[in-house]
Amino acid sequence: MLFNSATFLMFFPFVSLVYFLIPHRVRWAWLLLSSYVFYMSWNPKYAILLATSTLITYASGILIAKANELRDREKATRMKKTWVALSLLSNLGILVLFKYIDFFGTNLIRLSLWLDLAIPIPNFNILLPIGISFYTFKALSYTIDVYRNDVEPETHLGRYALFVSFFPQLVAGPIEKSKTFLHQFQEEHFFDYTRVRDGLLLMLWGFFQKVVVADRLAILVNTVYNDPASYRGFAIVIATVFFALQIYCDFNSYSDIARGCAQVMGFRSSRNFGQPYLSRSIREFWANWHITLCSWFKDYLYIPLGGNRCSKLRSYFNIFVVFVVSGIWHGATINFLIWGGLHGLYRVGEDLLRPLKDKLVRLLNIRTETLSMNLFQGFLTFSLVCFAWIFFRANTFSEAVLLLNNMLYFNPEIFTRGLIFELGLDWKEFIVALLGIFIIILGNIMQRTKRFGFDISEYHIGFRWTIYVTAIVFILVFGIYGPDFDAQQFIYLQF
Amino acid sequence: MIKKALIKSILLLTLLGLILSVLNPIFILKEGHRNKLYQGLYEHQGDSLDVVFLGSSHMINSFNPNILWDKYGFTSFNYGTGGEPIDVTYYLLKEVLKFHDNPIVVIDLYYLGLTDEYGNEEYVRYVLDNMKMSVNKIDAIFHTTPSHNRLSFLLPILKYHGRWKELSEQDFKFDVFSTYYAKGYSAGENIYGKNNTFSNHTKETAEIPPKAKLYLDKIIELSKEEGFELIFTLAPHDYNSTLEIPSWHPEPAKMFNQVAEIAEDNNIPFINYNNLFDDLDFDFKTDMYNAGHMNIWGSNKINAHFGEFLHNNYHLPDHRKK
Repeated sequence: MLFNSATFLMFFPFVSLVYFLIPHRVRWAWLLLSSYVFYMSWNPKYAILLATSTLITYASGILIAKANELRDREKATRMKKTWVALSLLSNLGILVLFKYIDFFGTNLIRLSLWLDLAIPIPNFNILLPIGISFYTFKALSYTIDVYRNDVEPETHLGRYALFVSFFPQLVAGPIEKSKTFLHQFQEEHFFDYTRVRDGLLLMLWGFFQKVVVADRLAILVNTVYNDPASYRGFAIVIATVFFALQIYCDFNSYSDIARGCAQVMGFRSSRNFGQPYLSRSIREFWANWHITLCSWFKDYLYIPLGGNRCSKLRSYFNIFVVFVVSGIWHGATINFLIWGGLHGLYRVGEDLLRPLKDKLVRLLNIRTETLSMNLFQGFLTFSLVCFAWIFFRANTFSEAVLLLNNMLYFNPEIFTRGLIFELGLDWKEFIVALLGIFIIILGNIMQRTKRFGFDISEYHIGFRWTIYVTAIVFILVFGIYGPDFDAQQFIYLQF
Repeated sequence: MIKKALIKSILLLTLLGLILSVLNPIFILKEGHRNKLYQGLYEHQGDSLDVVFLGSSHMINSFNPNILWDKYGFTSFNYGTGGEPIDVTYYLLKEVLKFHDNPIVVIDLYYLGLTDEYGNEEYVRYVLDNMKMSVNKIDAIFHTTPSHNRLSFLLPILKYHGRWKELSEQDFKFDVFSTYYAKGYSAGENIYGKNNTFSNHTKETAEIPPKAKLYLDKIIELSKEEGFELIFTLAPHDYNSTLEIPSWHPEPAKMFNQVAEIAEDNNIPFINYNNLFDDLDFDFKTDMYNAGHMNIWGSNKINAHFGEFLHNNYHLPDHRKK
């Protein structure tokens, strides 16, 4: 059940309406049921995995709490470590089994062929259960939080199962940590008109980003990236820039719809995105991109590795490891590994070059807080991010190399001869795409500068309703959807 | 507070519904059937028609209202639309009957041969997209289209919104001028030049596909309830021309023998023109446009016969004398 499907547009109002009509004490059961129905609409069998992950982490919480009660502190610590290790191993084991087994299998076969060894390696060909990377991380956060005494263990299995499976966040985040979200299921949420309206508006904004902008940009991106041998120079540059915007709009829209859904029902979710493409450094980019995943890695991987409270070399190593793991988290391909590795290198490089940069700034007496400097830094950051996106989007490693080769070709004539309109979007579609991008960027600048405060509730009802209706009609008319198109799956659902 | 929100939501949805009801007709694909159905359904009102013709493309080039007018002074309209399945015919008939009390209803039964539960979406849209919103239309959508398509039949903008870039002046207005004089009829001038390949005439019968049978029964039932005269026809065509179509009855000749029995049991005339070639001096080679459709000359022969049939068997007024 995709967010941008007719089924969800009926499912969500029904679920939330019933949610408010039933007493607080049974709401968890209703949301749990709804969440499993939501998840099972993809493949009922995978609910078993979801339930398994839930039960293991739930049990680990109880067992860690039990161990905590032991008088023998040494034994208590040992037991706690055992339970947390078992929970981590079993959950990550399931994740590896379903997400990476084919990758390892294929590469083992390649290796054995290369070494000329005849090792029989079975090919499992397992379908990736949707959202497994997201809910596994969410469930693991609970085990670790309990282990660190950051949260009390949840004794109510139903409420805990709901935390893991809560449908708005189930298949593509935001990856909430138990310490910020679990307790919200105990709160009683009343129907608050303003909150519900704002939640719905956030969802509407999400739908705009998805069906008007992301899925329109996808047409051009797919044209070029699915046939890389046929395009050169600026065609690849445009497709890559469009992909950068597509993946932002796609994933941010999912996060916004998820946050909007949760907000309607009274839950406060974490933001997943700031304004990543207005960043002036890679560090800033990562403070604005997929924030909940970054925060997860920071809490549960970077800091345990030693964070930055260690030697310079070691802290760079830690940064690099986190980015490589984050790359692999997206999928078991060389391309994701390279994407993560590139960002690791960017981050480390940025730190290493900082003294040089500061020296240059002092030496040449450059004013850093000017618009032109900001634009220059922004452009540089965006270019580096786009370069890495090539590996993220290319279908295979060899295609990524082909794209990079073909990109080194100067063909400005595609702008003058109208060839740009032969990349899947005719000139009218192109204008709507650019208009969409303009609206997104404007929205980002408004959020960043907070200079144009825009609170819709301050306006007259006539104006407000005109905005609502215009937005809905705009999405209905200019959206890429309907019987002639398959509803485009959100990109992040595959991770 | 929920009550307030519900009221506001309903108001907002109503407003949105109103706007969409204005936008839907603009976005709907303007193909030939739109003007014709608009003229036939919503301009010809008030018991102005003696005879109405319904069916698929076979009906479009069967009966010519202008000939019936010139020769006998009967008023009629040809509501035939391309590829129209029999269940859609039933709902279109109900729509026609909203505006005309007891006309003689003539239906071409070629599409009884369809074995699929639902007709081709584009063909069904010829009719349903061009009907105004009503209980009958909603009923039609729920019975003649598969569930995954129903929402876009209710809100055609969901189907056609991609046309925003090709909208032209024609999309914003109705121009019934092009169809005004033809009254829904049209036939081509091509000459097929080949003989009928079907020769296996038989007295045997075969079952009508279940859904087609259900709607044939419903049409007969409706005629009894509403008290209108019903005439079934079958336009000339090569029975073998549908053999390659997987979703078609394998033995149409036998099936139409069954139809003849049903018609007789219900006292409904059934004129199968495929059995009247010799009587009408109908030459398949020169009177057909292709294997399935008549050309204008073939159609003239059928019209001469049918006009006389109406004149002899029904007491229809000659409106020319007024």
